[in-house]
This record gives sequence, structure tokens and C-alpha cells, in this order.
Amino acid sequence: MSAATRRRRIGLGLRPRRLAATCASLGALTALVVLLFPLYAVIVASFETNSQLFGASRYSFFPSRFTLSNYRVVLSEQGGHVVSSLIVALGTAALTLAIAVPAAHALARYRFRVTALLAGSLLVAQILPSIVIANSLFLVYHRLHLLNSYLGLIIADASYAVPFGILVLRAFMLGLPRDVIAAARVDGATEWQAFSRVVLPMSRSAIITVALFAFLNGWGDFIFALTMLNGNTFEPVTLSIYTYIGEFSQNWGEAMALAVFAVLPAAMLLIAAQRYIAAGLTVGSVKG
Amino acid sequence: MNQGAARLRGVARWVFLLPAIGYVLFAFAVPVIYNVVLSFEQTSPATIAHLTAPFAGLSNYTTTLKDPIADSAIVRTFSFTVLSLLFQFLIGFALALLFSLRFPLRTLARSLILVPWLLPLLVTGVIFKFLFQLQAGAVNQVLLDLHLVHQPVGFEVDPGWAYLTVLITNIWIGVPFFTVLLYSALQDVPPELMEAARIDGAGPWQRLVRVTLPVIRPVVEVVFVLGFVFTVKVFDVVIGLTGGGPANSTQLIATWAYNLSFQEFDYGAGAALNTVLLLIAFVAAPLYIWLNRASLRGDAR
Repeated sequence: MSAATRRRRIGLGLRPRRLAATCASLGALTALVVLLFPLYAVIVASFETNSQLFGASRYSFFPSRFTLSNYRVVLSEQGGHVVSSLIVALGTAALTLAIAVPAAHALARYRFRVTALLAGSLLVAQILPSIVIANSLFLVYHRLHLLNSYLGLIIADASYAVPFGILVLRAFMLGLPRDVIAAARVDGATEWQAFSRVVLPMSRSAIITVALFAFLNGWGDFIFALTMLNGNTFEPVTLSIYTYIGEFSQNWGEAMALAVFAVLPAAMLLIAAQRYIAAGLTVGSVKG
Repeated sequence: MNQGAARLRGVARWVFLLPAIGYVLFAFAVPVIYNVVLSFEQTSPATIAHLTAPFAGLSNYTTTLKDPIADSAIVRTFSFTVLSLLFQFLIGFALALLFSLRFPLRTLARSLILVPWLLPLLVTGVIFKFLFQLQAGAVNQVLLDLHLVHQPVGFEVDPGWAYLTVLITNIWIGVPFFTVLLYSALQDVPPELMEAARIDGAGPWQRLVRVTLPVIRPVVEVVFVLGFVFTVKVFDVVIGLTGGGPANSTQLIATWAYNLSFQEFDYGAGAALNTVLLLIAFVAAPLYIWLNRASLRGDAR
């Protein structure tokens, strides 16, 4: 084979591949533009006045006038709601871990007659519609005086993450080397010490994944906040955004500035803890 | 070890489990049972003060399910779910194949694609309400600029368009989920298998249908079942985007049940419609459990 034909072959072999890479890049770029444009639009809109956003003659992709007034209003009026959302999200993560971590440990380490039953009911719990839970819990909470309380909302919000958390953590803990735990027990550690000093540190990554999802669920919850709060005690950000764009108001500028705050934790977590989020996604967790 | 210590250890084991059992009973078992009880009761704003109300027989079911709005909400929920899943799968699978190719910055692209999935669903609904506005809406502006339409489209004011608008939004939300799961499944397709098929003369389409799809089928099943149970109960997006309107044209089971219970304060009627959602969940449950059988079998040795 002459050098010239060989070169041509390589050339022919390469060219379709480069073409494919170009097409793939263009395709990916298009997909990303479609998937990320709404986010761009929110950020831009949060710097525009309401008259630019509502009832204007055209939508401007690159507006020329910017204002900080939305953020000024949101920071002075909505700061408390952001704090409320933080309390709810952190509380949801804490409650989820407090329930799910010990339970996952017990289900992974001990043999119970009810193990299969419990794991099965957790799977069913995972697919229960929130509106069903909200409808019943509203009346139960009314009797227990848990409406308009952080505790009540956090208990309800944890319903997204507790079943998911137990199943994910149990699967992870089943994979831990049993010898290490057994060795700790032989060395005189109590069950509790074996759990807190051996199992907990080794399960760190799975615990972080579950905590992140519980946090995001608590942060993003709307249905329980809508049904269980009347807005007189506290109000998370999702509910505030909804009232901004309710039937009686179309205050887009401020709503969009508030939406930026609502999106911030997800964006920051994605940057800071992407591998945990990807891990949680692949073990089959969806919001609901 | 004496018997007392052994029994103590047996108790200690249950202590780890008790909070979870208590929680499952309070947050799942009680609401489900109470929902069924409520659906047979004559509730009113006055009965909220008590946990029980007069027995109403099947009247909640007959009145609620005879209502054309509820009927069309049920039918709409199914069509919405099927269409959502179909397009989420097609787009997600195409993107998963795309991301399997080598091109610059594909790792960055793969992580950015997760962003829509992480937004609070209500926020997504509100954002799309903004984008699909009649006047000065971004979507209408693109269509006008491309001369695809001459008049702005009433995405949120026309009943037919409103349904499509919510559907598109929901597809947008689900695509990252499908893409990520199908992408990771594609990475598990053995390259030798593909190479063997290539040598045997299989074209790209044949390799896709005869090799790739059968290999990733288990993941596809899981993704569809998960997608189904989570699309059937869609709520936040609809409320944020259309509130179920215009003229109830985007009401789904969950939003209409919310309306009955929390706008009309007829908790029994809402519970009756919720029972339909529960039935769907319980029909899907055995399938869901079967697909997750590996996680159940992982019994403590």
C-alpha cells in the first residue's frame, strides 16, 4: 500500500468522525440552549422593570435597560421567606436523616421478619401522590394544631425523602464489609458504637446524597406549603412566588428576582456536589 | 451471653427501626386509610373541627365521578402521562446517544443538562408561564421573528394550547432525568458486542434496535415505571403555569382534587377523586416492586 492511499484512507476514516463530532456538538448546543434558556430568561427578567415584562410590545432577548429595584424590594420584603425556606429545607434534611439512617442500618444488618414487608411498603410509600397525603394530613394537623407550624410542614415535606433515603442507604450499607462491623463488636463496641463509629463514617457519601435530596425536596416543596400554611405565620419562597403571580397580581420583575433566590440552592449544590446528585439520580429518585 | 442480654439486644435492634415505622404509619398509612374513610363521609367546612363526619355512602363517588370536569381530568391525566413519557423518552434517548459520542465539552454539557431537573417544580411552572405569555412572551417572540405565526399564540388563554403548553413544560422537566439514566445505561453496553454486530454487517439502525435496546431494556422499564408514577400525580407545574385553567382545560386528577378539597372545602369529594389516584398507584405498585426486586432480595445475611 502506498503512502498516498494510506493517507487518503486515514483521511476518509477521520473525516466522517470529525463531521459526527461537529454535528454532536451542534446538537448538544441546541439541546442546552433549549434546556437552559428559561434560566437565562429568569435572570435577565429579574433585572427588568415590570413594564418591560408585562404588557410590553415585544419580548427583548437582550434588554438594554437594567434595574436593581426588584432585588431591593425582594431583599427587604422577602428575606424572611428565604430564611423560612432554609429552616424548612434544613429541618427536612435533619428529620429525614434521623429517621432513615438508623432504619437503613437496622434493615441492612439485622434480619427481621418484617424486612421484606417494610421495604415493600417503602416502595409503595415512594409512589403515593402528595395530594392524597396533603388532603388527609390537613385535617389531622387541624386537630393536632400542626397547621402553620414548621414542625408540621417539615414532617410532611420529609415524606418525599424518607422512603427514598431508607432504601438508598440500606442498599449502600448492604455493600459495606461485614467483617469490619463484626470486628468492632468483638473488640467490645456496643451496637450503638458499631453504628456510630463504624457504619456512619463508612456511609458518608450515601448520607450526603440523601441529605441533599431531602434538602432540595424541602426547599422546593409547594403542595404541602400551599395546603398547610395560611401565610399568617411564615411562608416559604415557593408560596411567595405563587402569591406574586396569583390571580390578582402579575408582578413579574419581583417574582423573577425571587425565583432567582429559589433556584440558587439547586444551582450551588449542582456546582458543589454534582457527583452526589448524579448518584442520587441514578438510583432512581424523582421529586413528586 | 445470658438470655436477658440477648433480649436486650433484640430490643436495641428495634430501637433503630422504630422512628421509621412510626413515620411510615403517620405520614403514609394513616393518610391513605383516612383518605378512604373521608371519601365515604359527608364533609363540610363545619366538620373540619372533628376527625369524622356523617356517613355518606357512595355519594361522594357518584357526584364527583359524574362531574364532567372530573371525568375529563381523569382522561386528561392519562393522555398527559402517556404523551409526556413518550416524548421524554424519545428526546432523552436521542440526547443520551448524543452524549455518548465524543465531542468537546461533553462533560460540561452532561452536568448542565441536570439543571432543569433541580428547579422547584412550582418555579418551573411560573417561569414557563412567563415564557409563554401572550404579549411579550419569549416563545411568541421567537415564533413571530421566524415568521411561523403572524399573531401571538394564546398559549395560556386558549384551552387547546394551554394543555399543550403544560405538556411541553412537563416534557422539558423530565428530559434530563431520562437522559441521565439512559446515558448511564448506554455506558454499560459492552463495546465488544457492538463491534461484533458491526463486523457481522449490522448498520447503525440495526445495531441500535438489535443490540443497544435489548441490552438497556431493564433500565428503560424502570425509567418508564418511575416516570409513570411521578407524572400521574403532577400538580405544582399545572398550578404554577395555568392553575388548571382556562375553563378547567388543564385540570388533572391531582389539581382537581385539590380544588374540591381546598377551594370548595369538600374534603370528602376531594378524597373520592384522590382514591382514583390511589388506585392507579396501587395498580402500579406491584410492577414497581417487581422492578426493584433486587433491592428487596438484598436481605441481611
